[in-house]
Amino acid sequence: MSDGHSWHSDVALEEGRPAYLPRGLKRVPRGVDELATEHLVLNMGPQHPSTHGVLHVLIELDGEEVISAEASLGYLHRGIEKLAESRRYHQVATLLDRADYVSGLHTETAFALATEKLAGIEVPWRASWLRSLAMELNRYASHLVWLGTFGMDAGAMAPFLYIMRDREMILDILEEWCGSRMMFNYVRPGGVFADIPAGLDAKIRAWLRVADSYLDDNDALLGGNEIFQARIRGTGLIDAATALAFGMTGGCLRASGVDYDLRRDVPYCAYGELDFEVPLGVNGDNLDRYTVRVGEMRQCLRLIRQLVDGVPEGDFTAKVPKVFRPPAGESYAAVESPRGELGIHIVSDGGLTPYRMRLRSPAYFNLAIVDEALAGGLVADAIVTLGSLDIVLGEIDR
Amino acid sequence: MWGLGVLKGFGITIKNMFRPVITVQYPEQRLPIPERARWAVHAVFNEDGTPKCTACLICVKECPDHVLRVESSTRPEGGKHIDTYVYELGACMMCGLCVTACPYDAIEMSHEYELATRDHSDLTRMLLFDVDAASPRRTPREDAAPAPTGTEAADA
Repeated sequence: MSDGHSWHSDVALEEGRPAYLPRGLKRVPRGVDELATEHLVLNMGPQHPSTHGVLHVLIELDGEEVISAEASLGYLHRGIEKLAESRRYHQVATLLDRADYVSGLHTETAFALATEKLAGIEVPWRASWLRSLAMELNRYASHLVWLGTFGMDAGAMAPFLYIMRDREMILDILEEWCGSRMMFNYVRPGGVFADIPAGLDAKIRAWLRVADSYLDDNDALLGGNEIFQARIRGTGLIDAATALAFGMTGGCLRASGVDYDLRRDVPYCAYGELDFEVPLGVNGDNLDRYTVRVGEMRQCLRLIRQLVDGVPEGDFTAKVPKVFRPPAGESYAAVESPRGELGIHIVSDGGLTPYRMRLRSPAYFNLAIVDEALAGGLVADAIVTLGSLDIVLGEIDR
Repeated sequence: MWGLGVLKGFGITIKNMFRPVITVQYPEQRLPIPERARWAVHAVFNEDGTPKCTACLICVKECPDHVLRVESSTRPEGGKHIDTYVYELGACMMCGLCVTACPYDAIEMSHEYELATRDHSDLTRMLLFDVDAASPRRTPREDAAPAPTGTEAADA
């Protein structure tokens, strides 16, 4: 006889024993709460597709509700900082491409700026301009990856495919320019590796003519969808004070309403000459992070238009000896990467290679908020919130 | 009105169905490769078939991943002889630093991109084998960086 509770229908329950009690017990012992539930610890990752790489998040659940979350890192650690200590200054860029593999040019430029500060190299204006143009193209490509995967985290498949197709156009431009789709190795201390190829500006302009309408379409398809809006409004709240306390930067910080953008506040390369706005959020929820990043993409197109129109004449690199030794000392330079303040700190002992190189990874600090942002929400929202932080594990684990 | 955005999204999806196809049928159709694209390193030869390489070893010192190995000997009548020039394709990341550093344009980043092999040993390539090295006395390339000399080369 089965009462529908036992897994084995041929095992009859003892007379009078409730189905949830162990064999031999007829009633709940005194002092035990028969309705008590247990928390469940869920291992999300490191092979979970929604963690954008090999991130392992330990989530403590009470039913569907997240009680606490903890990120466990290091699955993609390649020792880039240590390897840089045995590379000469112009060889380090090859490693840094692989740190933040979605926007390699920003890491390269941060390293070049730090080296130039250390060695006192004057960069030609054209080189700075070309760096800015390449970085903005790369930023747009990086934001497109984020936009697509963020939609996919919330269950929207079609925008991802359209967005990846749009991104391919930028990668084609960058391949023609830098020689590689993602591992550019383009920015060197003193300038850039090669000038912009003839005819590429026409290709960039041709892309700019359609980029706006593509972005409008993707924004309408994803952000205009009421179901998607309902998913992301009011979830993953991070207030400005918490964001600052955790050292968040970039779009995640601006979504919380803190007006801080290195491109405007600490201008580097050609950004001091350019005219752009910094979109800001109000509440710091997932919707704000979405609107801030999409707003940033529109500003990005505006910047690329200005940059491609005003490429100045001049040399694309300063005269830097292949084997050079910067003086002993240290320097720090930071750029606004698509994820936030990406800083490189170099300590030199006057030798051929850096004595120590440290990478201040913005996504690492943005990810640290994971407990604050996920706790109190639902599991489904946890995935969306994690996606909204725009993490790249290559840069976090280094 | 609630739901208008969803309807608009359907419209965009339908619009996307009529956009031209950007994918190609790969083995039959191929996209052109840009001039600067960096793939497997090849040796460059003169018109008479002799290699341009002078066995100066600048590329070997320049490679961050140590994938190049040149073994050379001195000929009895003078000049260098390249016994082997080995290239570990499997460990190469195609950064192009060796090609930039070469003062004699003796190697190039080719456009050979189909690099999968059936055998792991095929990933170790012999770029040059048992040939006389070119004489380094010819004028190096104009824009080439000066070769490291003295203490700097020893440190590197």
